[in-house]
Amino acid sequence: MKIVIVGAGKVGYALADQLCREKHDVTVIDSSEEAIRRTCDTLDVMGFKGNGVDISTLTQAGATDADLLVAATNMDELNMACCLTAKNMGTKYTIARVRNPEYYSSMGTIKRNFGIGMVINPENATAMEIARLLRFPSAADIESFCRGRVELMSFRVQEDDFITGKPLYSLSNQIQKLSMLFCAAERDGQVIIPNGSFVPQANDKLYIIGKPTGLDEFFRLLGRYNHKIRSVFVVGGGRVSIYLASLLEKMHIRVKLVERNEERCRLISEKLPKTMVICGDGTDQELLDSESLSSSDAFVALTDRDEDNLIISLYAMQQGLSKVIAKSNRQNYAGIAHAVGLDSIISPKLITAAHILHVVRGMGNSQGSVMQALYRIADDQAEATEFVVNKSTRHLGVPLKELKLKSGILIAVIVRDDVVIIPEGSTCIQDHDSIIIVSREQAITDVNDIFAPSFESGGRNEF
Amino acid sequence: MNFNLVFNLTGKVLLLEGVSMLLPLYVAILYGESPLPFIYAVLITLFSGFILSRLPYKKHFFAREGFFAVGLIWVLMGLFGALPFHFCGQFNSFIDCLFECYSGFTTTGASILTNIEAMPKGILFWRSFTHWLGGMGVLVLTTALLPSMGLRSHFLIQAESPGPVFSKLMPKQSQTSKILYTIYCVMTVVEIGLLKLAGLPLYDSFIHAFSTAGTGGFSNRNLSVGAYENPTAEMIIAIFMLLFSVNFAMYFLLLCGRAKDVLNSDELRFFLGVTALAVFFSCINIYPIYHSVWQSFRFAFFQVSSIISTTGFATADYMTWPVFSQVIMILLLLCGACAGSTGGGMKCSRILLLVRCLRREIRQIIHPRNVSVVKLDGKVVEENTLRSVMLFTGCYFLISLMATLVVAMDNFSFTTSFSAAFTCMSNVGPGLDIVGPAGNFAAFSGLSKLVLSSCMVIGRLEIFPILVLFSRSAWRRA
Repeated sequence: MKIVIVGAGKVGYALADQLCREKHDVTVIDSSEEAIRRTCDTLDVMGFKGNGVDISTLTQAGATDADLLVAATNMDELNMACCLTAKNMGTKYTIARVRNPEYYSSMGTIKRNFGIGMVINPENATAMEIARLLRFPSAADIESFCRGRVELMSFRVQEDDFITGKPLYSLSNQIQKLSMLFCAAERDGQVIIPNGSFVPQANDKLYIIGKPTGLDEFFRLLGRYNHKIRSVFVVGGGRVSIYLASLLEKMHIRVKLVERNEERCRLISEKLPKTMVICGDGTDQELLDSESLSSSDAFVALTDRDEDNLIISLYAMQQGLSKVIAKSNRQNYAGIAHAVGLDSIISPKLITAAHILHVVRGMGNSQGSVMQALYRIADDQAEATEFVVNKSTRHLGVPLKELKLKSGILIAVIVRDDVVIIPEGSTCIQDHDSIIIVSREQAITDVNDIFAPSFESGGRNEF
Repeated sequence: MNFNLVFNLTGKVLLLEGVSMLLPLYVAILYGESPLPFIYAVLITLFSGFILSRLPYKKHFFAREGFFAVGLIWVLMGLFGALPFHFCGQFNSFIDCLFECYSGFTTTGASILTNIEAMPKGILFWRSFTHWLGGMGVLVLTTALLPSMGLRSHFLIQAESPGPVFSKLMPKQSQTSKILYTIYCVMTVVEIGLLKLAGLPLYDSFIHAFSTAGTGGFSNRNLSVGAYENPTAEMIIAIFMLLFSVNFAMYFLLLCGRAKDVLNSDELRFFLGVTALAVFFSCINIYPIYHSVWQSFRFAFFQVSSIISTTGFATADYMTWPVFSQVIMILLLLCGACAGSTGGGMKCSRILLLVRCLRREIRQIIHPRNVSVVKLDGKVVEENTLRSVMLFTGCYFLISLMATLVVAMDNFSFTTSFSAAFTCMSNVGPGLDIVGPAGNFAAFSGLSKLVLSSCMVIGRLEIFPILVLFSRSAWRRA
């Protein structure tokens, strides 16, 4: 795919790096010669110096027939204008980085009028990622679909879990009613797409998908949810912290936020009435102790200095906190932090790049119906893909029990008008639905790929 | 320095070189000559290449590896390329073989052979084919054939491609290399066809097309192109020499339908302007010798085109021309072709930048507080680039003068020593006096030949990759 990236900053570079590895044709535009040189020296991309709104620069960079343009400069307005220009020149899809919260209220209009396909806010995305990590301290990994409405998680089955050794259909009504589904299982390196007669065994890695609340409830029933996080200690009062605190407030988690600048503290306390805002130096251990750091359930270091974040996180770990998250934009620090036992390192640029990558992968894969997201699970042996169904999809309105799917394929979730539906035999797929398909070992690039060939021919004879 | 990576890369290039020797091997068999020199050379080259390319290596690759690899690859490539010459037994010493081979790969076209026509056809074919390979660059070819090298090949191409800055045509290096080689091949094939139509034998068409494409200058005739007495062929070659010394990006732009950008290229205008002026003045200057406008134009145009493209073919011995014309030739020799072409010399874009820098400097003296930028093709040229252009110019003259000093030990005239050093540095071929269009480099001592050979490589790679090889810190393990 031909991809143009405007802005070779942290996100732009990380994205170009990743896209290059995936063999896309990447062109980078930046107004700084230095940034261009650094990118072109280390990556196999073509660089142009110039403004991303300038038509002649965009033409040179090939925006007229590009499949995707990502505007990731540090100016929201420039990014939006850039998408507008590129869209009018013929770029098929545009992504803009917009971080100013004030634009968010009118984002729908802006997106429509500026021809922006997707808006990404690094700070918000980071905050959501942290919130997810805080919500499920026991889950190994979490992926989200349909803008967070659906989540996919994995956990390891233990000997004394009530689901062990019983086929899924015999599970109690309480579990059956939960808005969730067992979508894949990993046993001795093999992936199984479970049906009703699947019997979970100890040490299986189970993947469950569903509404976040449903998953919450399941973990609670499983007894894995005992150390729920009730209070979080946040250091640093930047944009990420504000987004995070407001998310945590909604989750009824108490937040204590330390920020150095008094002015900023006032602003934060105005925006976040329930958050305890403390003005002081977050790197001062005296202050952390006096604010009883050790009695918090989790610690998040979000100052603008990577080094400070790592050091105070280490201090928090030393104080016995079980969940410690540090923000670090520099990738090389993550390795060092890992070595000393600090596992949750969050990098806004990588999160942003990952979000955009999902879209790109989806575009690269989709032909008819639009693929929205793709996650590889279970050591790349299975895929979970999100599609938006459109008219080109066959067998719309046919109940699922009458459909014959290829083996190893599961329609896991249907999201219709923002309502999450866990499909049953009588459910049918309709136009504009988002559906999440879990498949084993085969690349599904279109919804129509899931139907078994024998069924297809039979289906055609009827018409 | 990541030596294993460098050696691995070298191995891959040697494999490529070994494979490309199969072509002259085929020619030798076709003409019923002994294929043994090539068989030996192919076996040795492929074997060495194979061993080196099997080396395990770590992936880390930076600018220093790029420069170092390019320098080393070019030195070794010449060494292995000289093997067929050595095995054929027609050369006096291995130094002569080396000289001939470096002269080939660097597209210089300076020869130590006194009677070219007596050489086996396979050897002459290889000699011209080295021009073709060296013209666009072996690493460019390697990146075109092995896209897996893509990730950081930028450094390699930057080090191998002539000109102050290298810009990609396509996002991926391998695509860029493929486009460059496609244009290169198509133009070469067209020239072969035209020369055949103009009445040259097929074999001669191949030889001359390869030499023109690489802007080298090896011919299979003692009198070079002049031997054919064929004005049509002369015009075809002269025009193609100019075409091959234009930045290949221009052809890409033309193919993309951006002719306006081509016309607005400062370098191209400068190049064509200089060529036209040189043809005009030498035409007037030599008119008294030929007594005919057409004849003087024919010889002036061919000689000017041959020298400014740094090819070095000859249809007339300009040593018999007035001194004014000879000096024009020497100046053209220094100026050289366009950046991003197959030609050598200092490159028109550098001269242009130097002139513009000078203009800025003078303005700065008159208005000390004046702030201005130097532009090329309407784009601002970075101060770093300007600095490297000046450094390049300084080094270029310094190294040429040092080489003159060494060559002067052979006690030839100043004109000979001076022009020999500069012609090798500029990858042209002929100089003045003994090394003039009618002469050759056979008379020089072994030391001079080695120094001149290194000048050719230094000139072709534009100095820095070779100088890196001499830096002690580059040889430290990392």
